[in-house]
Amino acid sequence: MKMSLVFHRLSWLGVLVLAWLAGSCVEPYAPAIVSAPPSYLVVDGFLNARGSTTIRLSRTTAVASKTAPPAETKAKLFIEQENGPRYPLAETAAGTYVSATLTFDAARRYRLLIATQRGQDYASDFVAVKLSVPVDEVSWKPETDGVRVFVSTHDDTRASQYYRWEYEQTWEIRPPYQPLIEYDNALNELRDIRVRYPLSCWVSDQSNRILISKTTPLAKDVVSNFRVQTLSPDSPLLAVRYSILVRQHVLTQAEYGYWELLRRNTESIGTLFDPQPAQVVGNISNLRNPDDLALGFVGAHSTTEQRLFIAQPELPRGWGRRSGYESCVPPDTVYVTPPKTELADVPAKLKSSFGNPGFLPIDRVYSDMGVVIAYIAKAKDCVDCRERGSAVRPSFW
Amino acid sequence: MRIIYLLLLVLLANGSGYAQQAGPKTVTGDFRHLPFGQFVHELEIQTDYRFYYDAAQLDTFRVSVQVREQPVATVLERAFRNTPFHFAFGHERWVFITTAPAPDLQLPRAFFRPVGSPPDALAATPEATAPAAAPGRSRYVSAAEYQVHEIGLGGGSGPVTLAGHIKELKSGEPVVGATIFSESPSVGTSTDQFGFYSLTLPAGRYTLKVRSVGSKNTQRQVILKGSGRLEIEVEEDITTLKEVVIEGEKDKNVSGMQMGLEKLDIKTMRQVPTAFGETDILRVVLTLPGVKSVGEGSTGLNVRGGNTDQNLILFNDMTIYNPSHLFGFFSAFNPDILQGVELYKSAIPAKYGGRLSSVLDISSREGNKKKFSGAGGIGPLTSRLTLEGPIIKDKSSFLIGGRASYSDWLLRRLSNKAFQRSSAAFSDLSAHLSHEINEKNTVYATGYLSTDRFRLASDTTYQYLNKTASLKWRHNFNNQLYGVLTGAYTHYDYDITSEQNPVNASRLQYAINQTSGRADFSYFPNPKHSLDFGVSTLLYQVQPGALRPLGEESLIRPNVLAREQALESALYLSDRIDLTQRLSVSLGLRYSLYHALGPRTVYEYAPGESRTESTILDTVRYAAGKVLATYHGPEYRVSARYSLSDNASVKFSYNRTRQYISQLTNTASVSPADTWKLSDANIRPQVGDQVSVGYYRNFKSNTIETSVETYYKSLRDFVDYKSGAVLLLNPHIETDIVNARGKAYGVELMVKKLTGKLNGWISYTYSRALVRINAGTPADQINGGTYYPSNFDKPHDVTLIGNYRFSRRFSTSLNFTYSTGRPITLPIAKYYAGNSLRVFYSDRNAYRVPDYLRADFALNIEGNHKVKKLAHSSWTLGVYNLTGRQNPYSIYFKSENGQIKGYKLSIFGRPIPTLTYNFKF
Repeated sequence: MKMSLVFHRLSWLGVLVLAWLAGSCVEPYAPAIVSAPPSYLVVDGFLNARGSTTIRLSRTTAVASKTAPPAETKAKLFIEQENGPRYPLAETAAGTYVSATLTFDAARRYRLLIATQRGQDYASDFVAVKLSVPVDEVSWKPETDGVRVFVSTHDDTRASQYYRWEYEQTWEIRPPYQPLIEYDNALNELRDIRVRYPLSCWVSDQSNRILISKTTPLAKDVVSNFRVQTLSPDSPLLAVRYSILVRQHVLTQAEYGYWELLRRNTESIGTLFDPQPAQVVGNISNLRNPDDLALGFVGAHSTTEQRLFIAQPELPRGWGRRSGYESCVPPDTVYVTPPKTELADVPAKLKSSFGNPGFLPIDRVYSDMGVVIAYIAKAKDCVDCRERGSAVRPSFW
Repeated sequence: MRIIYLLLLVLLANGSGYAQQAGPKTVTGDFRHLPFGQFVHELEIQTDYRFYYDAAQLDTFRVSVQVREQPVATVLERAFRNTPFHFAFGHERWVFITTAPAPDLQLPRAFFRPVGSPPDALAATPEATAPAAAPGRSRYVSAAEYQVHEIGLGGGSGPVTLAGHIKELKSGEPVVGATIFSESPSVGTSTDQFGFYSLTLPAGRYTLKVRSVGSKNTQRQVILKGSGRLEIEVEEDITTLKEVVIEGEKDKNVSGMQMGLEKLDIKTMRQVPTAFGETDILRVVLTLPGVKSVGEGSTGLNVRGGNTDQNLILFNDMTIYNPSHLFGFFSAFNPDILQGVELYKSAIPAKYGGRLSSVLDISSREGNKKKFSGAGGIGPLTSRLTLEGPIIKDKSSFLIGGRASYSDWLLRRLSNKAFQRSSAAFSDLSAHLSHEINEKNTVYATGYLSTDRFRLASDTTYQYLNKTASLKWRHNFNNQLYGVLTGAYTHYDYDITSEQNPVNASRLQYAINQTSGRADFSYFPNPKHSLDFGVSTLLYQVQPGALRPLGEESLIRPNVLAREQALESALYLSDRIDLTQRLSVSLGLRYSLYHALGPRTVYEYAPGESRTESTILDTVRYAAGKVLATYHGPEYRVSARYSLSDNASVKFSYNRTRQYISQLTNTASVSPADTWKLSDANIRPQVGDQVSVGYYRNFKSNTIETSVETYYKSLRDFVDYKSGAVLLLNPHIETDIVNARGKAYGVELMVKKLTGKLNGWISYTYSRALVRINAGTPADQINGGTYYPSNFDKPHDVTLIGNYRFSRRFSTSLNFTYSTGRPITLPIAKYYAGNSLRVFYSDRNAYRVPDYLRADFALNIEGNHKVKKLAHSSWTLGVYNLTGRQNPYSIYFKSENGQIKGYKLSIFGRPIPTLTYNFKF
């Protein structure tokens, strides 16, 4: 429970008015509902007018369920040009279907056909092809709440108007330790390291918010500094170097409407004046059984993208100081001499400490006499950055 | 020794009836064994002397005397010969009769009247019998009670009409809702908003009793010889000032015609504890049976299953479009200027129209006509001050009240940065003037202004404004007929500015103006009929939305929707007929006529298809003043009452209402960005019908009232919205609107105790409010076109409003309220799309939030009760939500970091103590 509004004493015209404006509080809430949730087909993806199309099929699942929604496998998918040819998609991973690289005729309309393993046939509505205009600029600016990343674009022909962006962000991490020793499991002893742990890794993730904007209320088809991401000044993403790739989709009005509804439903419900949630379905229907819903909107368009880098030194003083490894300092110490550990117990101590691969030795601690009295060590997550990302330097880095 | 002769006396002529006779007259008569009272009466008729004597001493004394054209002195001398009685003449032809030797008669005249009472305020003559004044009562009022007022000139047969005003003695303000009645025969009426009454009785002598809340009971003795006027002044009942009374025409519950009417006076409202210690008129109305809202932060009223836009909210006959401050947390009326509020839930009088579900008639007091006074209060969020007084004593008065918040100042003191960047300020100002030109003509003027401005942790500033004014002229044609001519103007607008990004900086504005004129007449032709009739006309002018760029850099393209206007007119007539002693009916018909007027561009859509931009067939341009759509229809207003006994009755009512303007709102709660839309060629007016039956019974000499009312209501063509509808700046709003049907039914049980140390009311309501949207194509339907619960469908509701008075100075109030949780649309499944988990929602309103339960407590401490002191003050210490239960205001689900999480938002999630100081001088 969060007390939002509390105020203390105030004196007014000699009258002491003591009051609390007690606040609103927000608590987690889990209704015990829906014993038999519906299992509708979910179609996620778009028909790429200039490249390879990737469509993911899955099923809806109960809200309370802990597992990820199940993938829909072994379906047959085709991209169909209106009164024209069909192009098949192949399942590359469970529920993920990928087509060959295609170039759509911008004057024709396209749709997606799906035949599921259970024998149900679905099709999206035929949609017009929208080709994306280039991204003019991806820029950033430090503001009071942190680093804001903006995208700008325009279309002089006023044909685009409806935009959606996704981003993929990548940042470099540097763990605080570089082990000089490693544990030999067979010999139950510590030796000099043979293969060094990487000094840096790169972590990536994708946008999960729906970023859309339309320019229909504007006199020109210009998107100026649309904010796609905000990073707080102490975000570990800014600790070394940060990169964001913004991918732009130009949508039809109908597809924009679908995303807007989806966003309103799941991202902006709860304040006092947000609209009520609505069922969001999309443009896919079961060809034989209209009561069987399929969720998703399959549009046909191309994408354009642009990448931005932000290095820590470019930030305002004091920003980007958190590495994300703060909880890893200080390191632990494993003593191997009396009085902390009797000599007879040292092998067992080593076994119990380092026999667990999640705990890694970092370096030896010597006494004044040059005798090893202890080892410093820390959890693997603090030492091996591959626990958090990939040690392979991305091609664009 | 002071004279303890209590007096009363002899008569002059009735001021209006008889001409004052000049000089002493002689007495002629043959009086044999005449009771002294009658003898005096006879003398008073023949002369213009007034007699003062102690009736107790003389009641057994009988006069036997024969005189012919003798002076009064001679007559008296003969009458009192050989008796212990003496008589003496004073100034002004007063005659004093005593057992002692003749007294000193040079007393100041004022001795017999309290200082300050106007001489001959009562244009009637007093007669005999004078018991001692009741303790604590003004001698003036006491005297008036025992005077016999002779009314009229007539011969004294056939029905006559007595009319006049009932006013408060000290302030001269009219007393609204006071009842005046004769017990035998049982005939009564109550005063209207001007304190005016008109009572028709057979000629003869009556004792008329006057009862009203907050005033001492009084009575007048009248001899009706012909139609005439009687002005009555009543005393404020200071000692019971803070007694909770939910209205009190004591047997009104049973004997009144009205059903589905709830009256609250300001004293009741002050007792009800509220979240911020502010007396809040709408919040108290929400405790009444049949009135609900979506949540506690909202003052949008849902009356018997109606939408929040279906209530006609009138403040001194001016329509108020947004009656709340700060998102609906406060109502926008200063409690100090209010007289009371009446809520019509069914049997809406024919006089009112334009909204489907209810009429909420809020009236201000009239200013004090006798002396300057004021009142105010200091609460945790706002302070208020009201001043009133005479402009011309007894003729005209003013009343002005203001209230302002200092929440801005508070917000800046909060530790949270977001709140520091917020601002919220509101204020309201009301002014009321009344002037009595003469006995027949009175004019009233009211002005009202309420403003709100807030910015909540963002770059968007909301402002809204209500501005209204009215002018009323009331003319009494005669005792049976009076008319009121009213002109009113209402303006409401809002203005939302967003200026963070210079490229998108913009200002969104909306405004509605309403100019109306109406003439209302009340006619009382005979005791069996009372007629109301009138005409009204109303011009709406709406600016449905204008988005304009702000600043040089802004690229916002101006989007200004075309103005809309329409004219709504109505004619009405209703007659209340007392068929028998037991059965009364009221038959009313209102006929309303609506024209949507140009200039407008109207789209025509392909019939039978879902309206979208692509189904527009044609665009028709209408010139200024051209009628583009006409709607009209009768509105029936029928009610009946049958008395089963003196303390039980059954009532029935049926009414139809039509509404030509709808509020466009897509959110659970009424939001400040909601707009009002006029009916036009594509949007039909809403029509509602309600049938209601009730049983009423009073116990314990009308101190306990019970009632059971049940109703069924059907609503047609109210607006609902397609999923994802765009309501703002939509030039073809009809493409996003669907016509919905609604039905609502319920039973309301209520027990009220009006008097005594323990008083208050308890009510239970079972009600349903259902909606169906099956018009248009399947894509437009909601829940497959079946009935589903509306947002405010809360079947069970129990409310207790209780007050216990320990002493004159201390009283406590306790509220308890329980209701079923409101319906909600819940997510029933989740899925993965756009790199995030999404939720799939259930059918609309298929589930409910947890039940609502809240108890509030207040302690009212009055200052001492000396009637005369500089200022009367009181403290109210309250605790809102005593148990600290976290009642859900809103339940919502959010996709956060790829996870779907449900949250429950409680607005007042813990006990909230408040302290308020009120004063009156």
